[in-house]
Amino acid sequence: MKVSAIIIAGLLCLTPAALSAQTVSDAQIASIVVTANQVDIDAGKLATSKATNPEIKKFGQQMVTDHTGVNKQATALVTKLKVTPEDNATSQSLKAGGDKNIANLKSLKGAEFDKAYIDNEVTYHQAVIDAIDKTLVPSAQNAELKALLVKVRPAFVAHLEHAKMIQSSLGK
Amino acid sequence: MRIAIFAFALSLTLCTLTDPAGARPKPTTHTVTIEGMKFQPEALAVAVGDIVVWVNKDLVPHTATASKAGIFDSKLIEPDNSWTLIVRTQGDFDYVCTYHPTMKATLRVE
Repeated sequence: MKVSAIIIAGLLCLTPAALSAQTVSDAQIASIVVTANQVDIDAGKLATSKATNPEIKKFGQQMVTDHTGVNKQATALVTKLKVTPEDNATSQSLKAGGDKNIANLKSLKGAEFDKAYIDNEVTYHQAVIDAIDKTLVPSAQNAELKALLVKVRPAFVAHLEHAKMIQSSLGK
Repeated sequence: MRIAIFAFALSLTLCTLTDPAGARPKPTTHTVTIEGMKFQPEALAVAVGDIVVWVNKDLVPHTATASKAGIFDSKLIEPDNSWTLIVRTQGDFDYVCTYHPTMKATLRVE
């Protein structure tokens, strides 16, 4: 089963259809945000060491830098708000999907690695943006947490566009 | 007395008209805010001698780097930090964030 499908399935738990059965609390949102960033940091670290294409190496490094920066801000905010991130089905699913992606990437090398990494980055960032739009922002109770989610979104969009640029340039 | 005042006023006027230093406008400071993965404003017109300050209000680091090599490069601007440029070269300069290639803007120097 494609790894990205697992990640999407995890995030799709948060689709409106599922929402009637479940609501996402601020504590759960905090956990989802931190986990989502960490998953991409881990994949980015692997890309900086394993990627062959220099653009992909550079992109991986950027993911580490940017998602670390976002996590720093997110952690500072939830600490200030005295919100303890609460592990939940979605954050666990994200983590599981992330681990599977890493395991898959570790089995690949050269151009195959590069393609698998960047393909996953495209799918992953799109899924996270969808979750931000459809669930996290609408659910957020605390105004500052909601504002942070809104402020984070453009970074994910920029990452997605950059990943798509690299994806389309592969094999040319 | 009136002649003295007139003479003084006349000499002041002549000084302003003939002295280039007196006629040159003071440099203006312009601010470009980097936020939401964008340079705001995306198009900025300034004069030679003006000051441009890029302020990073975003969650991630950025740069302000002219596409034409050697014109200007802020290098790393961390969140909550800024970078100041005294503009010395005339022209239209496209610039980008070297970390995020989708971030583009222009600086027009007159």
